[in-house]
Amino acid sequence: MIRETIEIINKLGLHARASAKLSHLANSFTSDIFLIYNEDRVDAKSLLGILTLAASVGNKLTIEANGKDEKEALKKIVSLFEGKFSEKS
Amino acid sequence: MNKGLVITHGNLGKELIAVAEGILEEKVDVDSLAFGWEDNGTDTISKFEHYLKKNQGNNIIIFTDMFGGSPTNICFKFNMENIEIITGVNLPGLLKFLTYKDKDMSFKEIVKIVKKGAISGINLISEYLGEKKK
Repeated sequence: MIRETIEIINKLGLHARASAKLSHLANSFTSDIFLIYNEDRVDAKSLLGILTLAASVGNKLTIEANGKDEKEALKKIVSLFEGKFSEKS
Repeated sequence: MNKGLVITHGNLGKELIAVAEGILEEKVDVDSLAFGWEDNGTDTISKFEHYLKKNQGNNIIIFTDMFGGSPTNICFKFNMENIEIITGVNLPGLLKFLTYKDKDMSFKEIVKIVKKGAISGINLISEYLGEKKK
C-alpha cells in the first residue's frame, strides 16, 4: 500500500467535472484507491463519493493505492492533480 | 443490458441528461421523454410504449420527476420484472446510474445503489458545515 499527500491547485477544486475525470482514471486501475481528507475517506472510483469531500483549492488530501498497479495508479492520479485536471486556469 | 429513461414534465429530463454529459464529458446512453403541458397522457404513453418495444429484453430504470405527478402515474401500469421506477430524479442519481449501469451486478443491486446515490445527494449545507456563524 502506498500513499501520497498532494495539494489541490486547480481553481475550482474537486468539482463535478474534475471528480468525474478522477473517478474515471481511478476505475482504469485494479488497485483499491482511496482519497483521505480530514476525517473522511472515500473510494476514488466513486464520483459521488469524491464530491462528498467538497475539497477546494488549497486543501491537502492523501491518495492511497493498494494493489498490483498501485504505483502506476498513484503516479497518474498525482499527475492529474498537478496538471490541474487540464483546466484552463 | 441496463437502459435508462427520464420522464419529466417539460424538458427537465433532456436538460439533466445534457448536464450529465457535460460533467462526464461524453455522450451518455439515456433517453428522455417530455410530458407536454397539453398532453392528457395519450401522447407520452404512446411514445413510452414505443420505447419499451424498442428496448425489449433490456432492464430499464425509469427516472421520473415527482411522485404523484403524471410522468410517474403513467408508469404505474408498467411495473414489470425488468422495469424499476425511481421518482424524484436528480443529478446525483443519474450520475450514479451512468457509472454503474454497465457493472457486473444484478439489476436489482444497481437499482438499490442508484436510489441510495440519489438520496445521498440531498444535504442540508448548514448541517454539513456545523454550527452557523452568529
